[in-house]
Amino acid sequence: MQPALSIQHTFAGRNVLLTGASGFLGKVWLAMVLHRVPTIGKIYVLLRPKALRSALDRFERMLASSPAFKPLHDLHGAAMGEFIASRVEVVEGDVSLPEFGLKDPEQAARLHRDLDLIVNCAGLVDFDPDLREALSTNVDGARNAAAFTARCARARLLHVSTCYVTGLRQGTVEESLDPGYSPSGDPFDVEAEHADVTAAAAQIVAAHDSPAAEAAALEETLTQMRSKGQDPANAMLLRNVLRRVKRQRLKDELINEGQRRAKQYGWHNIYTYSKSMAEAVIARMLPADRWSMFRPAIVESAAEYPFPGWNQGFNTCTPLIYLLGGWFRHLPARIGNPFDVIPVDYVCRGLVVAGASLLLGRHSPVYQCGSSDRNLLTIDRAIELTALAHRKHLRNHGDTALERVVLSRWDAITTDIDHLLSVPNIRSAAEGLRDWLRDVKAPKFMRTTLDEWADKTDDALDTVDTIDKMVDLYQPFVHDNHYIFVSQALFVAEVVEPEFRCDPRSIDWRSYWVDTHVPGLRKWCFPLFENKTPPGYTPPHPFKLPRTGPQPSTTGPQPTRLEPRSAHTDSGRTILGVSASVTSSSASRAEVL
Amino acid sequence: MNHRNTAAFFRVEGIVLGRGVLAASAYIAANAKKFGERALRLGLVALAAPVHSFLGQTDRALAHRLVHLAFRGMSEDRVAILSEEYAEDILKGKILDQGVELMKRAQAEGHRVVLLSEGIASIMKPLAQHLRHHDDLLCNHLEFRDGEATGRLLEPIIGAASGGRWLQHYASEHDIDLAHSVAYGSHGPDMLLLAGVGKPCAVNPDFVLRRSARDADWPIIEYRD
Repeated sequence: MQPALSIQHTFAGRNVLLTGASGFLGKVWLAMVLHRVPTIGKIYVLLRPKALRSALDRFERMLASSPAFKPLHDLHGAAMGEFIASRVEVVEGDVSLPEFGLKDPEQAARLHRDLDLIVNCAGLVDFDPDLREALSTNVDGARNAAAFTARCARARLLHVSTCYVTGLRQGTVEESLDPGYSPSGDPFDVEAEHADVTAAAAQIVAAHDSPAAEAAALEETLTQMRSKGQDPANAMLLRNVLRRVKRQRLKDELINEGQRRAKQYGWHNIYTYSKSMAEAVIARMLPADRWSMFRPAIVESAAEYPFPGWNQGFNTCTPLIYLLGGWFRHLPARIGNPFDVIPVDYVCRGLVVAGASLLLGRHSPVYQCGSSDRNLLTIDRAIELTALAHRKHLRNHGDTALERVVLSRWDAITTDIDHLLSVPNIRSAAEGLRDWLRDVKAPKFMRTTLDEWADKTDDALDTVDTIDKMVDLYQPFVHDNHYIFVSQALFVAEVVEPEFRCDPRSIDWRSYWVDTHVPGLRKWCFPLFENKTPPGYTPPHPFKLPRTGPQPSTTGPQPTRLEPRSAHTDSGRTILGVSASVTSSSASRAEVL
Repeated sequence: MNHRNTAAFFRVEGIVLGRGVLAASAYIAANAKKFGERALRLGLVALAAPVHSFLGQTDRALAHRLVHLAFRGMSEDRVAILSEEYAEDILKGKILDQGVELMKRAQAEGHRVVLLSEGIASIMKPLAQHLRHHDDLLCNHLEFRDGEATGRLLEPIIGAASGGRWLQHYASEHDIDLAHSVAYGSHGPDMLLLAGVGKPCAVNPDFVLRRSARDADWPIIEYRD
């Protein structure tokens, strides 16, 4: 056991740069540190300008409207602006750009001189995003963070990754890092792979503009318009639809290429593939005393900070829990498989502990922050708790009698993948029914009704398809693979301050799931699936940063690469989540940070 | 004299609460995870019902063991949540005001009020918050292993004829003078309990207890709606 670790003492007067502050994890970390480590030096918050808003405006807006900062507002009241100004400096930049895209060399030099720690929370958290975006944010972002760290006088880099970089494999996953690692066991050279995948993406983009691709896109556009009853002679409409079709075709091809490469080396998806590459890049670029990897498992609603149940966006396993609150009942999952959930505040505490260890030079190369090793939650238990949580809500708050009486008792269960009521079987039955309704010889007066039913069955099939995609997306995590993530490094030293202890053994899963997590999702995340707005937050005292001091540049950094779209952390989080509406066609998006 | 060295023992079912163990078990069984499972578990409760009615006149241990077999294999999470739901949504409305009055009076008289329930802890503990005027709750406990109910009740089983025997042990543990203590029973199996205290009282007694109460000249209280 190492000597006790004091967070207050270690962080006193230290300067920290935070990236990804607008994401779920980044926000909670920032709020927690500002709240609980008043002795800290300066926190530099790196934010991109976005939608004509400067980084400073975005930051101000974030603090004025995000419930994550409620405890800070409660604590400081009208003096919140002064407090934040005394502790935080907003830096306009972009992790996906070299030198973080800082425009002011003096500011860059100051950061190089003053920084003690860089916490890199920025990451693209979609499971299967546009390959170029994943490379830009996750891999190039990590490379830029490592390069920036190397230029700093003494700063060290704490990079937020994910436990699932381990890829498709079984068993215990140790807290270790091999820069040449691939889950399939094939040799993996990250630089060669990066060059190769970048070239492949460029080739796809070039081919996308070829006459053959143009013709195919036009053909698809016309088919699409005709099927919707639109007039292809409408030139403006044709141009708009064609543009959309081309964009989607390009994206699909890039996603397919990314998925192919990820699967080839044994990763689940583009997310875990790119995050693993990021780890390898950092490990190769920096000496071992300058970095640590922090790998959370499935980051979920807060247990306690900023308040129980806080959650944000289309994150983690939210879509799955949303889905299980409806009539879908048979989820393919392997009984006994760990479902490695960890509340966001535990992750933030762990991130602080890892940061303190890194500052003291007592760090481990890898910190895994999960629960499977110390307080196992199995997937079947999580599903049952989900069903019970929905039951509790529906019995009292169901919209209709059907929901209150029947749906509340319609418990989701774990099944085999080839269960009689599996999604493929339901789809095939529905397709059969639709075809029968369309083809059956019926008297003329019944034909219209039968056609209406066939159309309704078609609509139901769309939903079944969405569910199928989602089930597919989760399958590696809830069915195919059995992981136990060893989480020991965070506990080698006792933490002096109890508010920073992050041992998951203190989680009572039943109470957390039923009374905190699912109600939190219902309040903060489910409205997004239903095209509603989650409750807003207005601090008791209007928040404004004092404008007297030096202000960061309001001009955004100039992107120097092909794709300026980058670092999507607004709904950011690491883990199992589908960042898409259950009823939308984008169910293949999921996130892991 | 220390005002805490006498106790008032209350059998919960029939005196403080208008519902028994069978209804609680049926509720939980009917809300098992799978539909087939629900039917099977309800069937087990139904099988236990006649045993409860006939053999349970003097000793309910067997009936309780049988009825709780219906919980076997159910997760601790489900039992806990359904129990809480049953206590809050159903049992809370079945609390008998007259019983609560008796408890209140006993507490005002300086007795340590001890509730004895045949129900399981996961139901009785949330309910006890609504009963208020008591100092101790003794109830049955289901055995759980690896997060699943084994279907067994842990000893001692409240409701068994031998249940009164622990009275001496409880009295010595809490320094209670049984000769000046009160007990309120309502069923045949409560006879040992009532016989063990100086001031026994039968409340809404069943046939067996009514006969014994008359023979022993114990006071009988009948609630009126």
